[in-house]
Amino acid sequence: MKIKAQISMVMNLDKCIGCHTCSITCKNVWTNREGAEYMYFNNVETKPGIGYPKNWEDQEKWKGGWKLGKDGKLSLRTGSKPERLLKLFYHPDQPEMDDYYEPWTYDYETLIHSKRRNHQPIARPRSLITGERMEIKWGPNWEDDLANGESARQDVNLKKISEDITLEFHDIFMKYLPRVCNHCLNPACVAACPSGAIYKREEDGVVLVSQDGCRGWRHCVPACPYKKVYFNWKTNKAEKCIFCFPRLENGLPTVCSDTCVGRLRYMGVLLYDMDKVVAAASTRDKGEIYHQVLDVIADPHDPEVIEAARREGIQESWIKAAQESPVYKIVKEWQLGLPLHPEFRTLPMVWYVPPLSPITRRMEANCYLPEADEMRIPIAYLAEILAAGNTAVMTRTLQRLLDMRAVMRAKTTGDDLPSRLEFAPEVYEKMFRLLGIAKYKDRFNIPAGIQGKSNAEMREAQGGGLYTCPGGRC
Amino acid sequence: MNTFFYGVLPYIALTIFVGGTIVRYVFFERGWTTKSSEFLSKKSLKWANPVFHLGLLMAFGGHFVGILVPKFVTEAAGTDEATYHMISLAGGIPAAVLFLGGFLWLMKRRFFGSSRMKVNTSGMDRLLYLVLLLTILSGTAATLSNITAGFDYRESISPWFRSVLMLSPDVSLMKNVPAIFQFHMFMWMMTAILFPFTRLVHCLSLPFEYLLRSHIVYRRR
Repeated sequence: MKIKAQISMVMNLDKCIGCHTCSITCKNVWTNREGAEYMYFNNVETKPGIGYPKNWEDQEKWKGGWKLGKDGKLSLRTGSKPERLLKLFYHPDQPEMDDYYEPWTYDYETLIHSKRRNHQPIARPRSLITGERMEIKWGPNWEDDLANGESARQDVNLKKISEDITLEFHDIFMKYLPRVCNHCLNPACVAACPSGAIYKREEDGVVLVSQDGCRGWRHCVPACPYKKVYFNWKTNKAEKCIFCFPRLENGLPTVCSDTCVGRLRYMGVLLYDMDKVVAAASTRDKGEIYHQVLDVIADPHDPEVIEAARREGIQESWIKAAQESPVYKIVKEWQLGLPLHPEFRTLPMVWYVPPLSPITRRMEANCYLPEADEMRIPIAYLAEILAAGNTAVMTRTLQRLLDMRAVMRAKTTGDDLPSRLEFAPEVYEKMFRLLGIAKYKDRFNIPAGIQGKSNAEMREAQGGGLYTCPGGRC
Repeated sequence: MNTFFYGVLPYIALTIFVGGTIVRYVFFERGWTTKSSEFLSKKSLKWANPVFHLGLLMAFGGHFVGILVPKFVTEAAGTDEATYHMISLAGGIPAAVLFLGGFLWLMKRRFFGSSRMKVNTSGMDRLLYLVLLLTILSGTAATLSNITAGFDYRESISPWFRSVLMLSPDVSLMKNVPAIFQFHMFMWMMTAILFPFTRLVHCLSLPFEYLLRSHIVYRRR
């Protein structure tokens, strides 16, 4: 047993309203620079849709993530090491700018300086890359609320499920999917980097690109199945979501989590057994990867795990944070969090509580709370995104969320509790407190400092002259 | 005059080449990159770039043998002058076609292709393209002008270059070298001087250690 700590995130999709506040605050902090205009470390997609960059989920096209060989060994889908050294000169699977979108601004000046005319002046769009006038044909949230219409049908998850999805108005459905880097346990981008510039931090599992070490070979970009490593065309180096590590180190949640108006993001520590990672990623049945990953996550209350964690030099404050981690509760204790596309085999460490949705019209007349399979969003579709097609896992998870509602409703109406509850009623109440009320201090439990200071000490230090910023170069 | 060009300039070039590269690596590593433009214009790169780099590797191999391996070694191995010349032409002309062809193809892409390429082209890039073009052109012209084997560079340029490396330059060897070869000498020294300040440094970063490394890299803060 080799225990490591990982900062992990949960997003409760049931509460996401697709407002893009996370994307905007992230962008304002990290990617409002030349060369990074097109990057969204955090973006929100409407599903069904092809997403950003276009069709990122289609690994037949992009060759991201890992594949399992006949011998049961994992290899990168984009090719073996020698094969990929030949691709240094031209990488056929690398997305180009138009796969994301060409960023633009508007000629706002004309609004101010226009002479008096019969018609209002307009601000015409201009490319942020070339500075030339351009016609806007695609953008990072072009499919917002199914706005693009046709492209929703191209969603690869729709194609994979056998059910006939018509997307006619009377049974149309949608959901939001906010995405950041998943800071995977088995990151394909790290494995693909020829320079060894991308690494996973031992202390907290954050995956980072060394801006000094990066040589611009670009192999991380196609290798990441989530397309969450970006190529900066100005500095000619790769960049990605950094999980706001300077904030984490000070005990603060990421900007996207902190500013989420729906209060649907949770952050905390998970302890995991490093020795089990490769086996879990190599699970033959892709629908079972989820259960294997749950097994990789160690129980922070288990004395053996605590002992092993201490052996690895994990601080007491981190072990304590792992025991009180909201992420551990949601993901492992209640098993409400699911990984995004576990079949990519990177073992993502950002988890999603699947969304409930309104009842389908045919059921509307005769029930208040529906069963899991009576809802608008087809279970098979959700399962394709969050459970590698395992509908049993999806049904079970949604049913738990419905049970929670039934229990809480029974408290005020005095109705009988549903007969087949999986947990004690108090557990559902705790679930409700964390998912429904979602107080700031309950949502985030991040131990300050790999510097070995407590949160209180860090806050003290920030006010005084003792503060040394992360990296120690301020 | 010859003393400067063949006794002094090579050392200036070598000093800037080595010293500049070290300084850049130690203090300015953040700018050390391939400066790939595949992201801005992908399709046009597909054949031009591999062709250029293949030609470059072939040309590099040919120069390595022709300059660093002394004539008596190849002759001891049973290759007389005529045979050697045939072999070098058989390798050199295809190399020149790929190298120069690929380079012109890349130039067309960079200067007459997608307007996005402008944002990836700095002033230093323009200078580098000019110097490289003249270097490759003069090298190709020298190879082609010497098909009839009037001039044996392995009796002049090669021993001179080795004498430079041995730190006792024998300038007299370069006395009767044809003008086109002399021009090629000047251009490669210019390229060497520019090297540390350009994207060319990426050739030193060929990631062979990648073949030996484990998949996942962990690092402490």
